[in-house]
Amino acid sequence: MSWSLRLPFLSLSFSARAVAVGSCLLLLVTVGSVLALRLGSYPFTETSWLSVLLGAGSEIERMILMDHRLPRILTALGAGACFGLSGAMFQTMMRNPLASPDVIGFNAGASCGALIAIILTGGNVLLGALIGALLTAILVVSLAWKEGLPPQRLVLIGLGIGFALAALSDLLLSRTDARTAADMAEWLIGTLNARDWQDVWLVWSGLLLLAPALFWIHFPLARLGLSDDLTSSLGLRLSPLRLGLTGLGILLAALAVCTAGPLPFVAFAAGPIARALVPNGKPALLGAAVIGALLVLAADTASRMVPSIQLPAGVFTALIGGPVMIWLLMVQFRKGKL
Amino acid sequence: MTILETTSPRSERRASTRQIWLLTVLLSLLLLSALSLRFGLRPISWDNIWESFVAYDATRADHLVIQGMRLPRLLAAWLAGAALAASGALIQSLTRNPLADPGLLGINGGASLGVILCIFLLGISDPASFVWVAMGGGLASTVLVFFLGGAGRGTPLRLILAGAALSALFLALGRSLLLISQRSLDVYRFWVLGGLDGIEMPTLAALLPFFALGAAFAAVSSFNLNAMMLGEDTARSLGLRVGLARGLAVCAIVCLCGATVSMAGPIAFVGLIVPHMARHFSGADMRWCLLFSAFLGAGLMILADLIGRLPVFGGNMQAGVMAALLGGPALVWLIRRNGSTAL
Repeated sequence: MSWSLRLPFLSLSFSARAVAVGSCLLLLVTVGSVLALRLGSYPFTETSWLSVLLGAGSEIERMILMDHRLPRILTALGAGACFGLSGAMFQTMMRNPLASPDVIGFNAGASCGALIAIILTGGNVLLGALIGALLTAILVVSLAWKEGLPPQRLVLIGLGIGFALAALSDLLLSRTDARTAADMAEWLIGTLNARDWQDVWLVWSGLLLLAPALFWIHFPLARLGLSDDLTSSLGLRLSPLRLGLTGLGILLAALAVCTAGPLPFVAFAAGPIARALVPNGKPALLGAAVIGALLVLAADTASRMVPSIQLPAGVFTALIGGPVMIWLLMVQFRKGKL
Repeated sequence: MTILETTSPRSERRASTRQIWLLTVLLSLLLLSALSLRFGLRPISWDNIWESFVAYDATRADHLVIQGMRLPRLLAAWLAGAALAASGALIQSLTRNPLADPGLLGINGGASLGVILCIFLLGISDPASFVWVAMGGGLASTVLVFFLGGAGRGTPLRLILAGAALSALFLALGRSLLLISQRSLDVYRFWVLGGLDGIEMPTLAALLPFFALGAAFAAVSSFNLNAMMLGEDTARSLGLRVGLARGLAVCAIVCLCGATVSMAGPIAFVGLIVPHMARHFSGADMRWCLLFSAFLGAGLMILADLIGRLPVFGGNMQAGVMAALLGGPALVWLIRRNGSTAL
């Protein structure tokens, strides 16, 4: 069953399943965010969090909620959405389920930039990560460019550069003193400790700015799963499209890594999970974004719930995402879809 | 496409230059091995190296260093590099995915988790006993991945997704255990960073049967995989039992990588990248690809180990890290020069 929306300039079709799954996921995100707001070392009751959010409550309560938990949750949601989007885009474009940005080297560039920023300036991690990611992206794309952007070339060159940069990070880590190293190690696994409103603005304004481009590119992206010949005979110009997709994907990954660090597994898992929930052959960008946001939110909340030690959220992304993915795969296997 | 390639003049020329390339690679491998015995924190003259082989004298420090430290290390680098690269070539061909690495079957994740559980639950901190624990962990998780991935019957996509999800899960489980227990971290850190340090002859000898078995499996698999490159249906009509062939290739990877990870800890780079380099010399034929992968992998590990021992890097840089630092740019250069070869 499906409905269609027809406007003079646009027509979209929604399947009943996609709508149902989408609303369930959005409900989950809302419930999850509220739970994440309430839970923690200073718990709020069922109603008190709302009144504090609306301006009542003591100074301390307001500070905990507005300056600590809310930015952290919003950053988690935004960064997760960015990871999910960029992963799903790369996987569809390269026609390879392993081609998420953390595998093909863009996250390594961002982490490496952050580490160099820590060593050189002692701060400015955000800027360092952003510059690192963009420089890596420019390097990879320009090295892989050959009368277009063949996915195979892009993937392999990304791998080579990514591994070299990850090794460089290890090298830098081993050459510094223990305290800086502990600071830096955080940047190699990903955490959402101590995020403030600056991070929230960065990731959400980035997402909003890129949203129109994402919406537009999601139509041709659905056709990139076909063979090159078929795609170009549909009238799509492959090279500019691939370049645009790569640029968008890299920007999204850079935004996510800047604000949350290179959280493992999110970008890889979000796309396949979304496609397993709504198996209609489309890239499921929106689904991947919501799944990514949910994964990071769950991981961050779990990392806050562990008493007495601050575990980085990066540990929990695979711990939560892995079983979900395995369960979905098993359901799909049993139906004989894979 | 494959048929077209084998008849094109370019690949005929390639077939004749292939032997020359193989010879060149082998010679440079021998040269590197000799250099790796010669140099280190304590340079030893050629005469002394020679004497340590023909007239071993346990009272001379030079002989002790050569026979007790550098030779096992060199052999370990040979075995680890060759095993990782060959199994990388196998899994990339098996899953038809250029991004697959042997860790995808969960060997590294399982081995790490095995070692961590062993420290955490049993309180064992003797590195010698980790060899078998790592082997068992790697084996168990591969069996799990293989059956969740369809036991040779499912599509490559199923194996890839199952493998990636399970190995990420194992690695995360291991990591969270480490963060909980400081004591485990202290022991584990040395295992995972161990690389090629402190490997002794008895360990090598104990693991040698696994390497030999893995090599035999890999040799048989290379013929099967050549047939499977034509497509599953064609392979079946050629009389190949596809499920069995896949199982055999997985056995080869488990033997080779299980032995490597229990000897030198998880090394990420070599298995993923070296097969791509090898394909530039070998073309699409799996038999040649395996040979080139093994030799190039061994060469890269020895070179990385040699450079990692330079005083610039504090005299002891992990060979895996060094291999990535050297191999990454080399891969980019090869691809830019020759274009990427499709699987």
